[in-house]
Amino acid sequence: MASVNPVSEQLSILLSCYLDGALVDGEIDVVVAALESDLGAVAEFRRLKESRRAIRLLPVLDVPLHLQPDGHLSEELSAFLDGQLSTTEIPIVTDHLVTCDDCRYELAELDRSRTAIRALPGLEPPVFLSVEPEKSKKRKALRAAVFIASGAAAVTLAFALAPFSSTTEPASVTITDLDARHAAVASVPAVQVGSP
Amino acid sequence: MILAKRSAIVGTSIAVALTFLAPSALASDVDYVLETARNATFNASRLTISIWGGQTQVSDQWVEHWDGGELVRTNSAWSVYGNGRAMTMGDAPRGIAFLTNRSAPVSERYSVGDVRDVTHLKRACVRVEINEGDARRATLIIDKKTGAILHSEIYTDSGRIFRTISLDKFKPYRVYAQPTTEAAVPFEVVMHADSYGLPEEIAGYSLVDVFPGPGSSEQGFYSDGLFTFSLFTMSRKTQVTGLDDPMAFVTDDGVYDMVPTAQDVRIHWSDTESNFVLVGDLPPDHAQAVLSELPPPDNGTMFQRWWQRLFG
Repeated sequence: MASVNPVSEQLSILLSCYLDGALVDGEIDVVVAALESDLGAVAEFRRLKESRRAIRLLPVLDVPLHLQPDGHLSEELSAFLDGQLSTTEIPIVTDHLVTCDDCRYELAELDRSRTAIRALPGLEPPVFLSVEPEKSKKRKALRAAVFIASGAAAVTLAFALAPFSSTTEPASVTITDLDARHAAVASVPAVQVGSP
Repeated sequence: MILAKRSAIVGTSIAVALTFLAPSALASDVDYVLETARNATFNASRLTISIWGGQTQVSDQWVEHWDGGELVRTNSAWSVYGNGRAMTMGDAPRGIAFLTNRSAPVSERYSVGDVRDVTHLKRACVRVEINEGDARRATLIIDKKTGAILHSEIYTDSGRIFRTISLDKFKPYRVYAQPTTEAAVPFEVVMHADSYGLPEEIAGYSLVDVFPGPGSSEQGFYSDGLFTFSLFTMSRKTQVTGLDDPMAFVTDDGVYDMVPTAQDVRIHWSDTESNFVLVGDLPPDHAQAVLSELPPPDNGTMFQRWWQRLFG
């Protein structure tokens, strides 16, 4: 009966790295050799594997935004732009944005991307490309290819012509919009009572 | 009990701050009055009357006010303002939020004048005069318990009343009338931007902050501590809509399109390159002084105006 000897600390580290995919060529040979000849190494390997599995199965803990010490707001920024945050979350995000340059930059980029996507022209398939069930599969595939190609061309053209087009910028502004913008800015507290 | 204690503290503070002020009081007293009013909690009907160019503008609203926020309801429409945010509810609900770390100027050109105890709406109040130099610019009647401004009169430089704002059916508490949460409204977020050449000061108003606006415009927000205005500058090609049947606001520099409301005034003009829109609650003489320091309107020849009207 083969005895199971405890493995050395160094081999245990190598096995752990092996599971993490962090070994170099020479080290892989050592691990493979140990697993082929050393039952202790096999047992340790199984133990490490089980530990990792157990860790993966642990429930994910969502740390509330305000409890994250220096956390950035990548997911919340998107929800913020979509108006999906709750009333209690909004001030946390806005407070963070006032002090965090990174998140402010990310929010601006996110907003710009959305604006650019919204400005893209909608693609409607031409009537002659509409799919009819009685047509052959080959014909359908050909039409699909033409449709995709034309769609890609349209998107490329839209991007290429964007600098020369004025459609991405509103050609007019409404006075009520400007009024609301002024009222919003004017509602920012001017002076803190009691502040020095 | 807590509310009563808080009211007593506010009342005492206002009484102490205002009752013992000499006419030459520090300018920051005006800021104190305004900031206390900003944080007051109440709901009331608010009647605002303004006179612009000989025409009277009237607005009757129901308002709920708390910690810097204000809900305004006119007929079935309502809006919420506060802490850099504006939210309107209607066919297309929308909101806008401004992120700013500005430091607003104190009201250096204003001072507290005559202060006396009065009774208004059966409530103990303080009547405060605010002077600009030697001239009276505003009279405020402030509720001692809440700090709310129950009645205010704003004067022109010639001493005529130009705007009155009166609260009625005043109740010193909230009723939480906001019909939906902010999460249900899509918000546009606007962040502070660098100025591209807006003047730091215009006729006693300081540039507080600059924001990108719609249609590639730029919004410069100005304040003198008591009144505020936003100056929007944009390309001449950008059309400004909603200025139906404007009045003519005539100064030595030219003719401007003006649409006054009870609460504020919107003034629009163009020069050869840019469109300008000024929106604010400033009195007529201040508006005139501000416009005199900005690029004058270029109304063009009759043919140009005709062409502009037809083809934009």
